[in-house]
Amino acid sequence: MGMGGGKGGGGRTTMSEINVTPMVDVMLVLLIIFMVTAPLIQQGVKVNLPETKAAPVEATEKKVVLSIDAGRKVYIGDAEVALEELETKLAANAKAQADKEVYLHADRDVPYGVVVEVMAAAQRAGISNVGMITEPATGSKASNSGKAAPASSGKGKPKEAKR
Amino acid sequence: MKALLLSLLLVPALVLAQAPVIEISGANFRPLPLAAPAPVVQEGADKKAAQAFDAAFTYDLTASGIFQVLDRAGFTADAKEGMTAGSINFSRWADVGAESLVKVSLAQDGGALRGELRLFSVATGKEELKVSKDAPAGEPRQLAHALADALYRHFTREASPFLSRITYVRKAGANRDVYVADWDGMGAQALTKGGTHILPTLSPSGQVAFTSYRKNRPDIYVQTPGGEAKALVTDGQMATGIAYSPDGKRIAYALAEGESAQIYVAAADGSGAKAITDTPYGLNTSPTWSPDGKRIAFVSNRGGSPQVYVMNADGSGVKRLTFQGNYNQTPDWSPRGDLIAFTARDERNAFDLFTVNVDTGKVTRLTQDQGNNEEPTFSPNGRLIMFSSNRNGAAHLWVMTSDGNNQVPLPMEKGNWLTPDWGTAPAAK
Repeated sequence: MGMGGGKGGGGRTTMSEINVTPMVDVMLVLLIIFMVTAPLIQQGVKVNLPETKAAPVEATEKKVVLSIDAGRKVYIGDAEVALEELETKLAANAKAQADKEVYLHADRDVPYGVVVEVMAAAQRAGISNVGMITEPATGSKASNSGKAAPASSGKGKPKEAKR
Repeated sequence: MKALLLSLLLVPALVLAQAPVIEISGANFRPLPLAAPAPVVQEGADKKAAQAFDAAFTYDLTASGIFQVLDRAGFTADAKEGMTAGSINFSRWADVGAESLVKVSLAQDGGALRGELRLFSVATGKEELKVSKDAPAGEPRQLAHALADALYRHFTREASPFLSRITYVRKAGANRDVYVADWDGMGAQALTKGGTHILPTLSPSGQVAFTSYRKNRPDIYVQTPGGEAKALVTDGQMATGIAYSPDGKRIAYALAEGESAQIYVAAADGSGAKAITDTPYGLNTSPTWSPDGKRIAFVSNRGGSPQVYVMNADGSGVKRLTFQGNYNQTPDWSPRGDLIAFTARDERNAFDLFTVNVDTGKVTRLTQDQGNNEEPTFSPNGRLIMFSSNRNGAAHLWVMTSDGNNQVPLPMEKGNWLTPDWGTAPAAK
Protein backbone atom coordinates (compact mmCIF):
# COMPACT_ATOMS: atom_id res chain seq x y z
CA MET A 1 0.00 0.00 0.00
CA GLY A 2 1.48 3.24 -1.14
CA MET A 3 1.77 5.93 1.43
CA GLY A 4 1.90 8.64 -1.13
CA GLY A 5 5.49 9.16 -0.36
CA GLY A 6 6.68 9.76 -3.89
CA LYS A 7 7.21 13.33 -4.88
CA GLY A 8 5.22 14.29 -7.87
CA GLY A 9 4.00 10.76 -8.48
CA GLY A 10 7.18 9.24 -9.80
CA GLY A 11 5.74 5.76 -9.34
CA ARG A 12 8.54 4.34 -7.21
CA THR A 13 7.54 3.10 -3.81
CA THR A 14 9.93 2.05 -1.15
CA MET A 15 9.87 -1.63 -0.40
CA SER A 16 11.33 -2.86 2.76
CA GLU A 17 12.37 -6.46 2.57
CA ILE A 18 14.64 -8.69 4.47
CA ASN A 19 17.91 -8.70 2.65
CA VAL A 20 18.85 -12.32 2.50
CA THR A 21 22.53 -12.70 1.91
CA PRO A 22 23.26 -16.01 0.28
CA MET A 23 24.96 -18.35 2.70
CA VAL A 24 27.86 -19.53 0.70
CA ASP A 25 31.10 -21.00 1.83
CA VAL A 26 29.40 -23.11 4.42
CA MET A 27 31.87 -25.72 5.43
CA LEU A 28 30.36 -29.15 5.27
CA VAL A 29 33.54 -31.15 5.23
CA LEU A 30 34.21 -32.17 8.80
CA LEU A 31 37.38 -34.07 8.23
CA ILE A 32 40.28 -32.05 6.99
CA ILE A 33 42.92 -34.24 5.51
CA PHE A 34 46.48 -33.25 4.88
CA MET A 35 49.71 -34.97 4.06
CA VAL A 36 52.59 -35.51 6.40
CA THR A 37 55.91 -36.92 5.31
CA ALA A 38 56.94 -40.09 7.03
CA PRO A 39 60.44 -39.43 8.37
CA LEU A 40 59.01 -36.85 10.74
CA ILE A 41 57.30 -39.56 12.67
CA GLN A 42 58.93 -42.77 13.63
CA GLN A 43 56.45 -45.32 14.80
CA GLY A 44 56.89 -48.79 16.17
CA VAL A 45 54.48 -50.32 13.69
CA LYS A 46 56.03 -51.34 10.42
CA VAL A 47 54.01 -50.33 7.41
CA ASN A 48 54.83 -49.94 3.79
CA LEU A 49 53.75 -46.41 3.06
CA PRO A 50 52.28 -45.16 -0.17
CA GLU A 51 54.41 -42.70 -2.04
CA THR A 52 53.13 -39.36 -3.07
CA LYS A 53 54.26 -36.16 -4.62
CA ALA A 54 51.80 -34.13 -2.64
CA ALA A 55 53.33 -31.21 -0.83
CA PRO A 56 54.08 -32.24 2.73
CA VAL A 57 52.88 -30.37 5.76
CA GLU A 58 55.51 -29.53 8.31
CA ALA A 59 54.75 -31.46 11.47
CA THR A 60 56.37 -29.89 14.48
CA GLU A 61 54.55 -31.42 17.41
CA LYS A 62 54.10 -35.01 18.33
CA LYS A 63 50.58 -36.11 17.54
CA VAL A 64 48.71 -39.30 18.18
CA VAL A 65 49.54 -41.68 15.35
CA LEU A 66 47.10 -44.29 14.12
CA SER A 67 48.56 -47.11 12.07
CA ILE A 68 47.04 -49.79 9.88
CA ASP A 69 49.43 -52.55 8.96
CA ALA A 70 49.28 -54.83 5.95
CA GLY A 71 47.29 -57.32 8.01
CA ARG A 72 44.65 -54.58 8.60
CA LYS A 73 45.41 -54.40 12.29
CA VAL A 74 44.84 -50.97 13.76
CA TYR A 75 47.16 -49.35 16.30
CA ILE A 76 47.26 -46.24 18.45
CA GLY A 77 50.96 -45.60 18.72
CA ASP A 78 52.32 -49.11 18.97
CA ALA A 79 49.33 -50.52 20.87
CA GLU A 80 46.97 -52.68 18.86
CA VAL A 81 43.35 -51.63 19.20
CA ALA A 82 40.26 -53.42 17.90
CA LEU A 83 38.54 -51.30 15.29
CA GLU A 84 35.34 -51.41 17.38
CA GLU A 85 37.21 -49.85 20.29
CA LEU A 86 38.97 -47.19 18.30
CA GLU A 87 36.27 -44.55 18.66
CA THR A 88 36.08 -44.99 22.45
CA LYS A 89 39.84 -44.93 22.82
CA LEU A 90 40.18 -41.77 20.77
CA ALA A 91 37.25 -40.05 22.47
CA ALA A 92 38.93 -40.65 25.84
CA ASN A 93 42.41 -39.75 24.61
CA ALA A 94 43.35 -36.39 26.12
CA LYS A 95 46.05 -35.72 23.57
CA ALA A 96 43.92 -36.46 20.53
CA GLN A 97 41.06 -34.46 22.00
CA ALA A 98 43.25 -31.48 22.83
CA ASP A 99 44.69 -31.38 19.32
CA LYS A 100 41.57 -32.58 17.48
CA GLU A 101 44.14 -34.07 15.18
CA VAL A 102 45.76 -37.46 14.54
CA TYR A 103 48.17 -38.81 11.97
CA LEU A 104 47.24 -41.85 9.96
CA HIS A 105 49.93 -44.24 8.91
CA ALA A 106 48.44 -46.92 6.66
CA ASP A 107 50.17 -49.59 4.67
CA ARG A 108 49.85 -49.12 0.94
CA ASP A 109 48.26 -52.57 0.61
CA VAL A 110 45.41 -51.78 2.98
CA PRO A 111 42.12 -51.47 1.10
CA TYR A 112 40.65 -48.02 0.89
CA GLY A 113 37.56 -49.18 2.77
CA VAL A 114 39.54 -50.02 5.87
CA VAL A 115 41.25 -46.64 5.86
CA VAL A 116 37.88 -44.97 5.55
CA GLU A 117 36.53 -46.97 8.48
CA VAL A 118 39.39 -45.79 10.66
CA MET A 119 38.90 -42.22 9.55
CA ALA A 120 35.19 -42.46 10.25
CA ALA A 121 35.91 -43.76 13.77
CA ALA A 122 38.23 -40.81 14.31
CA GLN A 123 35.58 -38.43 13.08
CA ARG A 124 32.95 -39.90 15.41
CA ALA A 125 35.44 -39.48 18.26
CA GLY A 126 35.54 -35.76 17.53
CA ILE A 127 38.81 -35.66 15.61
CA SER A 128 38.52 -33.07 12.87
CA ASN A 129 41.96 -33.28 11.28
CA VAL A 130 43.66 -36.37 9.95
CA GLY A 131 47.18 -36.14 8.64
CA MET A 132 47.99 -38.88 6.13
CA ILE A 133 51.54 -40.07 6.54
CA THR A 134 53.06 -40.88 3.21
CA GLU A 135 56.46 -41.59 1.77
CA PRO A 136 57.75 -38.83 -0.47
CA ALA A 137 58.26 -40.05 -4.01
CA THR A 138 61.77 -41.40 -4.36
CA GLY A 139 63.87 -40.51 -7.36
CA SER A 140 62.39 -38.70 -10.30
CA LYS A 141 60.18 -41.31 -11.94
CA ALA A 142 58.25 -43.02 -9.28
CA SER A 143 55.02 -42.24 -10.94
CA ASN A 144 54.18 -45.40 -12.80
CA SER A 145 51.93 -47.82 -10.98
CA GLY A 146 53.37 -46.83 -7.62
CA LYS A 147 55.97 -49.58 -7.88
CA ALA A 148 59.03 -47.58 -7.04
CA ALA A 149 61.15 -49.06 -4.30
CA PRO A 150 59.25 -50.88 -1.58
CA ALA A 151 62.34 -51.13 0.57
CA SER A 152 62.79 -47.40 0.73
CA SER A 153 61.01 -46.80 3.99
CA GLY A 154 63.85 -45.58 6.17
CA LYS A 155 65.91 -43.70 3.64
CA GLY A 156 65.50 -41.38 0.80
CA LYS A 157 66.10 -37.77 1.85
CA PRO A 158 62.45 -36.96 1.44
CA LYS A 159 62.53 -33.20 1.70
CA GLU A 160 65.18 -32.77 -0.93
CA ALA A 161 63.41 -35.13 -3.24
CA LYS A 162 60.27 -33.08 -2.87
CA ARG A 163 61.77 -29.69 -3.32
CA MET B 1 55.79 -20.65 31.45
CA LYS B 2 54.27 -20.16 34.82
CA ALA B 3 52.22 -23.30 35.11
CA LEU B 4 55.07 -25.67 35.72
CA LEU B 5 58.19 -24.34 37.28
CA LEU B 6 61.30 -26.25 37.95
CA SER B 7 62.55 -25.72 41.41
CA LEU B 8 64.29 -27.52 44.17
CA LEU B 9 62.41 -29.98 46.25
CA LEU B 10 63.51 -31.67 49.40
CA VAL B 11 62.88 -35.38 49.08
CA PRO B 12 63.20 -38.00 51.80
CA ALA B 13 66.75 -38.81 52.89
CA LEU B 14 67.51 -35.12 52.55
CA VAL B 15 68.56 -35.44 48.97
CA LEU B 16 67.98 -32.40 46.86
CA ALA B 17 66.56 -33.27 43.50
CA GLN B 18 64.90 -31.31 40.74
CA ALA B 19 61.20 -31.89 40.52
CA PRO B 20 58.34 -30.00 38.98
CA VAL B 21 56.35 -27.84 41.33
CA ILE B 22 52.88 -26.92 40.20
CA GLU B 23 52.14 -23.24 40.47
CA ILE B 24 48.54 -23.49 41.57
CA SER B 25 47.21 -20.04 40.86
CA GLY B 26 47.57 -17.45 38.14
CA ALA B 27 46.15 -16.87 34.71
CA ASN B 28 48.45 -19.41 33.08
CA PHE B 29 47.55 -22.24 35.39
CA ARG B 30 46.99 -25.49 33.58
CA PRO B 31 46.08 -28.73 35.36
CA LEU B 32 48.75 -31.39 35.02
CA PRO B 33 47.65 -34.28 32.75
CA LEU B 34 48.04 -37.27 35.04
CA ALA B 35 47.41 -40.93 34.26
CA ALA B 36 46.32 -42.91 37.30
CA PRO B 37 45.53 -46.49 36.29
CA ALA B 38 43.60 -48.73 38.68
CA PRO B 39 45.75 -50.03 41.55
CA VAL B 40 47.53 -53.32 41.17
CA VAL B 41 46.04 -55.64 43.79
CA GLN B 42 48.57 -58.07 45.21
CA GLU B 43 47.50 -61.52 46.29
CA GLY B 44 45.75 -61.47 49.63
CA ALA B 45 44.44 -57.91 49.31
CA ASP B 46 40.69 -57.46 49.25
CA LYS B 47 39.26 -56.45 45.88
CA LYS B 48 36.44 -54.44 47.45
CA ALA B 49 38.92 -52.52 49.55
CA ALA B 50 40.90 -51.85 46.38
CA GLN B 51 37.79 -50.45 44.70
CA ALA B 52 37.06 -48.17 47.65
CA PHE B 53 40.69 -47.08 47.63
CA ASP B 54 40.55 -46.37 43.92
CA ALA B 55 37.36 -44.33 44.16
CA ALA B 56 38.72 -42.15 46.98
CA PHE B 57 42.17 -41.74 45.41
CA THR B 58 40.76 -40.76 42.02
CA TYR B 59 38.26 -38.40 43.62
CA ASP B 60 40.96 -36.63 45.61
CA LEU B 61 43.10 -36.07 42.54
CA THR B 62 40.15 -34.96 40.41
CA ALA B 63 38.66 -32.56 42.95
CA SER B 64 42.04 -31.06 43.88
CA GLY B 65 41.86 -28.89 40.78
CA ILE B 66 45.56 -29.27 40.06
CA PHE B 67 45.43 -32.46 38.01
CA GLN B 68 43.68 -33.36 34.80
CA VAL B 69 43.03 -36.99 35.66
CA LEU B 70 42.99 -38.79 32.33
CA ASP B 71 40.11 -41.00 31.27
CA ARG B 72 41.10 -44.64 31.64
CA ALA B 73 38.92 -45.59 28.67
CA GLY B 74 41.59 -44.08 26.44
CA PHE B 75 44.55 -45.97 27.91
CA THR B 76 46.52 -48.20 25.56
CA ALA B 77 49.14 -49.52 27.96
CA ASP B 78 49.29 -53.23 28.69
CA ALA B 79 47.04 -53.96 31.67
CA LYS B 80 49.76 -56.18 33.12
CA GLU B 81 52.45 -53.53 32.86
CA GLY B 82 54.73 -53.46 35.90
CA MET B 83 55.35 -50.88 38.62
CA THR B 84 58.99 -50.08 37.84
CA ALA B 85 60.41 -47.71 35.27
CA GLY B 86 62.09 -50.55 33.36
CA SER B 87 58.82 -52.36 32.83
CA ILE B 88 56.75 -49.35 31.75
CA ASN B 89 56.17 -48.47 28.10
CA PHE B 90 56.22 -44.69 28.51
CA SER B 91 55.43 -43.93 24.87
CA ARG B 92 52.00 -45.47 25.38
CA TRP B 93 51.38 -43.08 28.25
CA ALA B 94 52.61 -40.18 26.13
CA ASP B 95 50.20 -41.30 23.40
CA VAL B 96 47.21 -40.71 25.68
CA GLY B 97 48.44 -37.29 26.72
CA ALA B 98 49.89 -38.11 30.14
CA GLU B 99 52.72 -35.98 31.47
CA SER B 100 52.88 -37.86 34.76
CA LEU B 101 52.00 -41.43 35.58
CA VAL B 102 51.11 -42.60 39.06
CA LYS B 103 51.02 -46.29 39.86
CA VAL B 104 49.77 -47.80 43.08
CA SER B 105 50.10 -51.32 44.36
CA LEU B 106 48.01 -52.60 47.27
CA ALA B 107 48.99 -55.46 49.53
CA GLN B 108 47.69 -56.96 52.73
CA ASP B 109 50.20 -56.92 55.54
CA GLY B 110 48.71 -58.54 58.61
CA GLY B 111 45.84 -56.32 59.75
CA ALA B 112 47.02 -53.45 57.60
CA LEU B 113 46.46 -52.49 54.02
CA ARG B 114 49.74 -51.31 52.53
CA GLY B 115 49.82 -49.04 49.53
CA GLU B 116 52.91 -48.27 47.51
CA LEU B 117 52.79 -45.31 45.18
CA ARG B 118 55.26 -44.55 42.43
CA LEU B 119 55.21 -41.43 40.34
CA PHE B 120 56.93 -41.23 36.96
CA SER B 121 57.62 -38.46 34.51
CA VAL B 122 56.34 -39.73 31.18
CA ALA B 123 58.76 -37.57 29.17
CA THR B 124 61.90 -38.77 30.95
CA GLY B 125 60.77 -42.14 32.23
CA LYS B 126 62.21 -41.25 35.62
CA GLU B 127 60.71 -42.29 38.92
CA GLU B 128 60.08 -39.06 40.80
CA LEU B 129 58.42 -40.25 43.96
CA LYS B 130 58.07 -43.50 45.83
CA VAL B 131 55.97 -43.62 48.98
CA SER B 132 54.38 -46.37 50.94
CA LYS B 133 51.72 -45.98 53.62
CA ASP B 134 49.68 -48.28 55.81
CA ALA B 135 46.11 -48.08 57.02
CA PRO B 136 43.89 -50.46 58.93
CA ALA B 137 42.53 -53.09 56.53
CA GLY B 138 39.00 -51.75 56.91
CA GLU B 139 40.04 -48.18 56.03
CA PRO B 140 41.05 -48.22 52.37
CA ARG B 141 39.80 -44.65 51.92
CA GLN B 142 42.11 -43.46 54.66
CA LEU B 143 45.03 -45.04 52.80
CA ALA B 144 43.87 -43.35 49.59
CA HIS B 145 43.77 -39.93 51.24
CA ALA B 146 47.25 -40.44 52.71
CA LEU B 147 48.79 -41.43 49.36
CA ALA B 148 46.95 -38.68 47.49
CA ASP B 149 48.28 -36.25 50.09
CA ALA B 150 51.85 -37.43 49.45
CA LEU B 151 51.36 -36.85 45.73
CA TYR B 152 49.82 -33.41 46.28
CA ARG B 153 52.68 -32.39 48.54
CA HIS B 154 55.20 -33.58 45.99
CA PHE B 155 53.79 -31.30 43.32
CA THR B 156 52.81 -28.30 45.41
CA ARG B 157 54.97 -28.49 48.53
CA GLU B 158 51.80 -27.73 50.49
CA ALA B 159 49.59 -29.83 52.68
CA SER B 160 46.61 -31.17 50.79
CA PRO B 161 43.04 -30.96 52.08
CA PHE B 162 42.66 -34.74 51.76
CA LEU B 163 43.32 -35.54 55.42
CA SER B 164 41.11 -32.81 56.80
CA ARG B 165 37.60 -33.12 58.24
CA ILE B 166 34.33 -31.33 57.61
CA THR B 167 31.07 -30.89 59.46
CA TYR B 168 27.63 -30.19 58.00
CA VAL B 169 23.91 -30.44 58.60
CA ARG B 170 21.48 -32.92 57.11
CA LYS B 171 17.91 -31.78 56.75
CA ALA B 172 15.43 -34.65 56.91
CA GLY B 173 11.77 -33.82 57.51
CA ALA B 174 11.59 -31.45 60.46
CA ASN B 175 14.99 -32.56 61.78
CA ARG B 176 18.32 -30.96 61.22
CA ASP B 177 21.23 -33.03 62.44
CA VAL B 178 24.93 -32.35 62.62
CA TYR B 179 27.45 -34.72 61.00
CA VAL B 180 31.23 -34.91 60.86
CA ALA B 181 33.03 -36.64 58.00
CA ASP B 182 36.20 -36.91 55.98
CA TRP B 183 36.87 -34.08 53.57
CA ASP B 184 34.95 -35.84 50.81
CA GLY B 185 31.84 -36.25 52.98
CA MET B 186 32.40 -40.00 53.35
CA GLY B 187 32.65 -41.91 56.62
CA ALA B 188 30.07 -39.57 58.14
CA GLN B 189 29.08 -39.79 61.78
CA ALA B 190 25.90 -38.18 63.11
CA LEU B 191 26.54 -36.12 66.24
CA THR B 192 22.88 -35.41 66.94
CA LYS B 193 19.75 -37.49 66.48
CA GLY B 194 16.57 -35.53 65.84
CA GLY B 195 15.62 -31.97 66.66
CA THR B 196 17.08 -28.80 65.23
CA HIS B 197 20.84 -28.37 65.23
CA ILE B 198 22.39 -25.93 62.81
CA LEU B 199 25.52 -23.99 61.84
CA PRO B 200 28.17 -26.48 62.96
CA THR B 201 31.82 -25.50 63.06
CA LEU B 202 34.97 -27.55 63.63
CA SER B 203 37.44 -26.41 66.23
CA PRO B 204 41.14 -26.83 65.46
CA SER B 205 41.23 -29.69 67.96
CA GLY B 206 38.46 -31.56 66.14
CA GLN B 207 35.50 -30.71 68.37
CA VAL B 208 32.27 -29.66 66.74
CA ALA B 209 30.35 -26.67 68.09
CA PHE B 210 26.87 -25.93 66.79
CA THR B 211 23.72 -24.00 67.44
CA SER B 212 20.99 -26.16 68.93
CA TYR B 213 17.30 -25.56 69.61
CA ARG B 214 17.03 -28.34 72.18
CA LYS B 215 15.63 -25.81 74.66
CA ASN B 216 13.41 -24.18 72.05
CA ARG B 217 15.76 -21.27 71.63
CA PRO B 218 19.17 -21.21 70.00
CA ASP B 219 22.08 -22.04 72.27
CA ILE B 220 25.61 -23.09 71.42
CA TYR B 221 26.86 -26.56 72.31
CA VAL B 222 30.15 -28.27 71.74
CA GLN B 223 30.74 -31.97 71.19
CA THR B 224 33.49 -34.41 70.39
CA PRO B 225 32.64 -37.37 68.17
CA GLY B 226 31.38 -40.10 70.49
CA GLY B 227 31.11 -37.70 73.42
CA GLU B 228 28.25 -35.82 75.04
CA ALA B 229 27.20 -32.36 73.93
CA LYS B 230 28.23 -29.70 76.43
CA ALA B 231 26.59 -26.32 76.72
CA LEU B 232 28.97 -23.55 75.68
CA VAL B 233 26.82 -20.45 75.40
CA THR B 234 23.40 -20.74 77.03
CA ASP B 235 22.76 -17.52 78.83
CA GLY B 236 19.11 -17.16 78.07
CA GLN B 237 19.39 -15.19 74.87
CA MET B 238 19.62 -16.28 71.26
CA ALA B 239 23.19 -17.37 70.52
CA THR B 240 24.13 -18.44 66.99
CA GLY B 241 26.92 -18.94 64.52
CA ILE B 242 30.05 -19.77 66.49
CA ALA B 243 33.52 -19.45 64.92
CA TYR B 244 36.82 -20.59 66.48
CA SER B 245 39.92 -18.44 66.22
CA PRO B 246 42.66 -20.19 64.20
CA ASP B 247 44.61 -21.06 67.37
CA GLY B 248 41.46 -22.49 68.92
CA LYS B 249 41.78 -20.33 72.05
CA ARG B 250 38.89 -17.96 71.41
CA ILE B 251 35.39 -18.12 70.02
CA ALA B 252 33.21 -15.49 68.37
CA TYR B 253 29.45 -15.73 68.04
CA ALA B 254 26.34 -13.59 67.70
CA LEU B 255 23.97 -12.95 70.59
CA ALA B 256 20.55 -11.43 69.94
CA GLU B 257 19.45 -8.73 72.34
CA GLY B 258 15.97 -7.38 71.70
CA GLU B 259 15.96 -6.03 68.17
CA SER B 260 19.66 -6.16 67.69
CA ALA B 261 22.37 -8.82 67.59
CA GLN B 262 25.95 -8.22 68.62
CA ILE B 263 29.18 -10.14 68.05
CA TYR B 264 30.79 -11.50 71.20
CA VAL B 265 34.29 -12.83 71.72
CA ALA B 266 35.04 -15.24 74.57
CA ALA B 267 37.61 -17.81 75.62
CA ALA B 268 37.13 -21.22 73.97
CA ASP B 269 35.30 -22.48 77.07
CA GLY B 270 32.80 -19.61 76.82
CA SER B 271 34.20 -17.64 79.73
CA GLY B 272 34.98 -13.91 79.69
CA ALA B 273 32.49 -13.10 76.94
CA LYS B 274 32.61 -9.53 75.74
CA ALA B 275 30.55 -7.74 73.10
CA ILE B 276 32.75 -6.21 70.43
CA THR B 277 29.99 -4.59 68.36
CA ASP B 278 27.53 -2.03 69.62
CA THR B 279 24.83 -1.03 67.17
CA PRO B 280 21.55 -0.32 68.98
CA TYR B 281 19.22 -1.39 66.17
CA GLY B 282 21.49 -3.35 63.88
CA LEU B 283 22.06 -7.06 63.39
CA ASN B 284 25.67 -8.20 63.53
CA THR B 285 26.14 -11.89 62.79
CA SER B 286 28.25 -14.61 61.13
CA PRO B 287 31.73 -13.83 62.50
CA THR B 288 34.78 -15.37 60.77
CA TRP B 289 38.40 -14.94 61.89
CA SER B 290 41.38 -13.84 59.84
CA PRO B 291 44.13 -16.50 59.79
CA ASP B 292 46.33 -14.45 62.13
CA GLY B 293 43.47 -14.14 64.63
CA LYS B 294 43.77 -10.35 64.67
CA ARG B 295 40.64 -9.49 62.71
CA ILE B 296 37.08 -10.66 62.35
CA ALA B 297 34.81 -10.33 59.33
CA PHE B 298 31.07 -10.35 59.94
CA VAL B 299 27.72 -9.43 58.44
CA SER B 300 25.92 -6.28 59.51
CA ASN B 301 22.84 -4.46 58.24
CA ARG B 302 23.91 -1.18 59.86
CA GLY B 303 24.10 0.41 56.41
CA GLY B 304 20.55 -0.64 55.52
CA SER B 305 21.24 -4.04 53.95
CA PRO B 306 23.33 -7.06 54.99
CA GLN B 307 26.94 -6.48 53.97
CA VAL B 308 30.32 -7.92 54.88
CA TYR B 309 32.39 -5.81 57.29
CA VAL B 310 35.83 -6.28 58.82
CA MET B 311 37.03 -5.15 62.24
CA ASN B 312 39.85 -5.80 64.63
CA ALA B 313 39.27 -8.65 67.07
CA ASP B 314 38.62 -6.09 69.84
CA GLY B 315 35.85 -4.43 67.81
CA SER B 316 37.86 -1.39 66.72
CA GLY B 317 38.53 -0.25 63.16
CA VAL B 318 35.27 -1.37 61.55
CA LYS B 319 35.37 -1.14 57.77
CA ARG B 320 32.74 -2.06 55.22
CA LEU B 321 34.08 -4.51 52.64
CA THR B 322 31.23 -5.23 50.20
CA PHE B 323 29.30 -2.56 48.34
CA GLN B 324 27.76 -4.48 45.45
CA GLY B 325 24.31 -6.02 45.87
CA ASN B 326 21.99 -5.65 48.79
CA TYR B 327 22.16 -9.05 50.44
CA ASN B 328 25.63 -10.39 51.23
CA GLN B 329 26.03 -12.96 53.95
CA THR B 330 27.86 -16.03 55.37
CA PRO B 331 31.44 -14.80 54.98
CA ASP B 332 34.37 -17.20 55.39
CA TRP B 333 37.91 -15.89 55.63
CA SER B 334 40.48 -17.82 53.59
CA PRO B 335 43.30 -19.42 55.58
CA ARG B 336 45.62 -17.69 53.10
CA GLY B 337 44.30 -14.38 54.37
CA ASP B 338 43.70 -12.63 51.08
CA LEU B 339 40.08 -13.48 50.30
CA ILE B 340 36.72 -13.67 52.01
CA ALA B 341 34.14 -15.88 50.31
CA PHE B 342 30.49 -15.01 50.80
CA THR B 343 26.96 -15.67 49.55
CA ALA B 344 25.07 -12.95 47.71
CA ARG B 345 21.46 -12.85 46.66
CA ASP B 346 21.02 -11.18 43.31
CA GLU B 347 18.07 -9.35 41.76
CA ARG B 348 16.59 -12.66 40.54
CA ASN B 349 16.58 -13.94 44.13
CA ALA B 350 19.27 -16.50 43.27
CA PHE B 351 22.06 -17.13 45.73
CA ASP B 352 25.57 -17.24 44.34
CA LEU B 353 29.10 -17.30 45.65
CA PHE B 354 31.68 -14.56 45.42
CA THR B 355 35.02 -13.69 46.92
CA VAL B 356 36.15 -10.25 47.95
CA ASN B 357 39.81 -9.36 48.26
CA VAL B 358 40.35 -8.04 51.78
CA ASP B 359 42.95 -5.48 50.72
CA THR B 360 41.61 -4.24 47.42
CA GLY B 361 37.87 -4.86 47.80
CA LYS B 362 37.83 -6.52 44.38
CA VAL B 363 34.85 -8.85 44.08
CA THR B 364 35.03 -12.02 41.96
CA ARG B 365 32.05 -14.12 41.00
CA LEU B 366 32.47 -17.88 41.45
CA THR B 367 29.08 -19.37 40.53
CA GLN B 368 26.30 -18.36 38.16
CA ASP B 369 23.13 -19.83 36.64
CA GLN B 370 23.43 -23.12 38.48
CA GLY B 371 20.70 -23.10 41.09
CA ASN B 372 21.36 -21.63 44.51
CA ASN B 373 24.90 -21.80 45.83
CA GLU B 374 25.44 -20.95 49.48
CA GLU B 375 27.57 -21.17 52.59
CA PRO B 376 31.14 -21.20 51.26
CA THR B 377 33.90 -22.62 53.44
CA PHE B 378 37.60 -22.69 52.57
CA SER B 379 39.80 -25.79 52.76
CA PRO B 380 42.56 -25.61 55.39
CA ASN B 381 45.11 -24.73 52.69
CA GLY B 382 42.80 -22.13 51.15
CA ARG B 383 42.90 -23.70 47.68
CA LEU B 384 39.38 -25.10 47.60
CA ILE B 385 35.94 -23.89 48.59
CA MET B 386 33.14 -26.21 49.67
CA PHE B 387 29.56 -25.05 49.43
CA SER B 388 25.97 -26.19 49.33
CA SER B 389 24.21 -26.15 45.96
CA ASN B 390 20.76 -27.27 44.82
CA ARG B 391 21.67 -27.24 41.13
CA ASN B 392 20.75 -30.91 40.79
CA GLY B 393 17.67 -30.90 43.02
CA ALA B 394 18.08 -31.28 46.76
CA ALA B 395 20.94 -29.35 48.35
CA HIS B 396 24.21 -31.24 48.03
CA LEU B 397 27.78 -30.35 48.96
CA TRP B 398 30.14 -29.32 46.19
CA VAL B 399 33.76 -28.31 46.01
CA MET B 400 35.59 -25.98 43.62
CA THR B 401 38.90 -24.18 43.40
CA SER B 402 39.03 -20.79 45.08
CA ASP B 403 38.69 -19.08 41.69
CA GLY B 404 35.45 -20.96 40.96
CA ASN B 405 36.85 -23.59 38.58
CA ASN B 406 36.51 -27.37 38.61
CA GLN B 407 33.18 -27.59 40.45
CA VAL B 408 32.51 -31.18 41.50
CA PRO B 409 29.97 -32.71 43.87
CA LEU B 410 31.12 -34.65 46.91
CA PRO B 411 30.79 -38.42 46.37
CA MET B 412 28.48 -38.82 49.38
CA GLU B 413 24.98 -40.23 48.97
CA LYS B 414 22.17 -37.89 48.05
CA GLY B 415 20.55 -35.99 50.88
CA ASN B 416 19.71 -32.49 51.88
CA TRP B 417 23.15 -31.36 52.98
CA LEU B 418 23.66 -27.83 54.22
CA THR B 419 26.07 -25.36 55.83
CA PRO B 420 29.40 -27.16 55.52
CA ASP B 421 32.34 -26.08 57.64
CA TRP B 422 35.83 -27.19 56.76
CA GLY B 423 38.22 -27.72 59.64
CA THR B 424 40.86 -25.06 60.03
CA ALA B 425 43.63 -27.65 60.24
CA PRO B 426 43.96 -31.35 59.52
CA ALA B 427 42.71 -33.05 62.67
CA ALA B 428 43.31 -36.62 63.65
CA LYS B 429 40.22 -38.79 63.62
